[in-house]
Amino acid sequence: MSRYDDVWLVIPAYNEGPVIADVVERARTTFPNIVVVDDGSTDDSARTVLATGAHLVRHPVNLGQGAALQTGLAYALAQPGTQYLATFDADGQHQTHDVERMVALLREGTADAVLGSRFIGCSDHVPWAKRVVLRTAAAVSPTARRLKLTDAHNGLRVLNREAASRLRITMNGMAHASEIVGFLARSGLRVTELPVEILYTAYSRAKGQSLMNGFNIVFDLSFRERGRR
Amino acid sequence: MKYFWIQSVLLLGVLTLAVMFIRRWDTSNTRAWKRLTFALFAVTNMYAVLRPADVSWVANRLGVGRGTDLVLYGLTLAVGFLTLNTLLRFRSFDRKLTELARSVAISEGIRVNAQRGGLDSAAVREPVGEETESA
Repeated sequence: MSRYDDVWLVIPAYNEGPVIADVVERARTTFPNIVVVDDGSTDDSARTVLATGAHLVRHPVNLGQGAALQTGLAYALAQPGTQYLATFDADGQHQTHDVERMVALLREGTADAVLGSRFIGCSDHVPWAKRVVLRTAAAVSPTARRLKLTDAHNGLRVLNREAASRLRITMNGMAHASEIVGFLARSGLRVTELPVEILYTAYSRAKGQSLMNGFNIVFDLSFRERGRR
Repeated sequence: MKYFWIQSVLLLGVLTLAVMFIRRWDTSNTRAWKRLTFALFAVTNMYAVLRPADVSWVANRLGVGRGTDLVLYGLTLAVGFLTLNTLLRFRSFDRKLTELARSVAISEGIRVNAQRGGLDSAAVREPVGEETESA
């Protein structure tokens, strides 16, 4: 039994075979409940996850990280006793002690969602081009401004049960980060940011999304259908 | 003022249809309009082929120089809507595919993870050692 029995880590993974088992096992020393959503990987990601203690959910085809997150959240919400749900990257750039701090904050009951930020405090370790683009994204995004966020595209978030069950990610691609922030801004839920440390390893740098993908994100968001919900 | 009519016709056409499309492109009403517009488009095309002089006459009344230009404008509009329509249709397919894949993934995941045993949510209820996992 662990004091984190009511916490689920949702880890979307697409072709993360070389690192995923390691990331999962390390996280499991703190968090017993982990679901890895294998987003139709073509490598051995799924097989290596089966050898760990994490739950595995496999998309039959590749759908995108947003879709994988939504699937993982739905799976975790269906498990008994789930109260807090964390989204966690598969490439090892996030740290479990950051999640512990975020969960502790939610347990105090003063917030419904905690988002990780690379830019509270010292951000010298973030590559400069990334820093410029991400700061700009946070500054020009109306919803990020409304929530006074400093970092709109951090993959590390912890939601309580209410926030997670109201969230419906429809942006399958990378635009889901903006979509989540937009949802939180409209939802009336209490949102705070907490500084987190990102490990920019050679692996995560190579896997991370290119800055050009920012244009895809803007396009996806500007063309979403209105008036549907 | 020479181009006032054609300009307003084209701009209004683009704007109203774009807004209508993106907002509610797949209601049965919009679908009916799409079909009607397409039928009209086909008939107009046939007419234009048979009586090109009439097209020029209409073009003149609208302030466009030649009939060819009018046809070109019409074609531009048509291609624009085709693109938009295809984009939205693919998006709707995407959404359906996602929902289908998600429900497959989750029910399959529940089955597989239950078979694996020794997983934590089971361990929460009846504590088992962590080394009893099997793939």
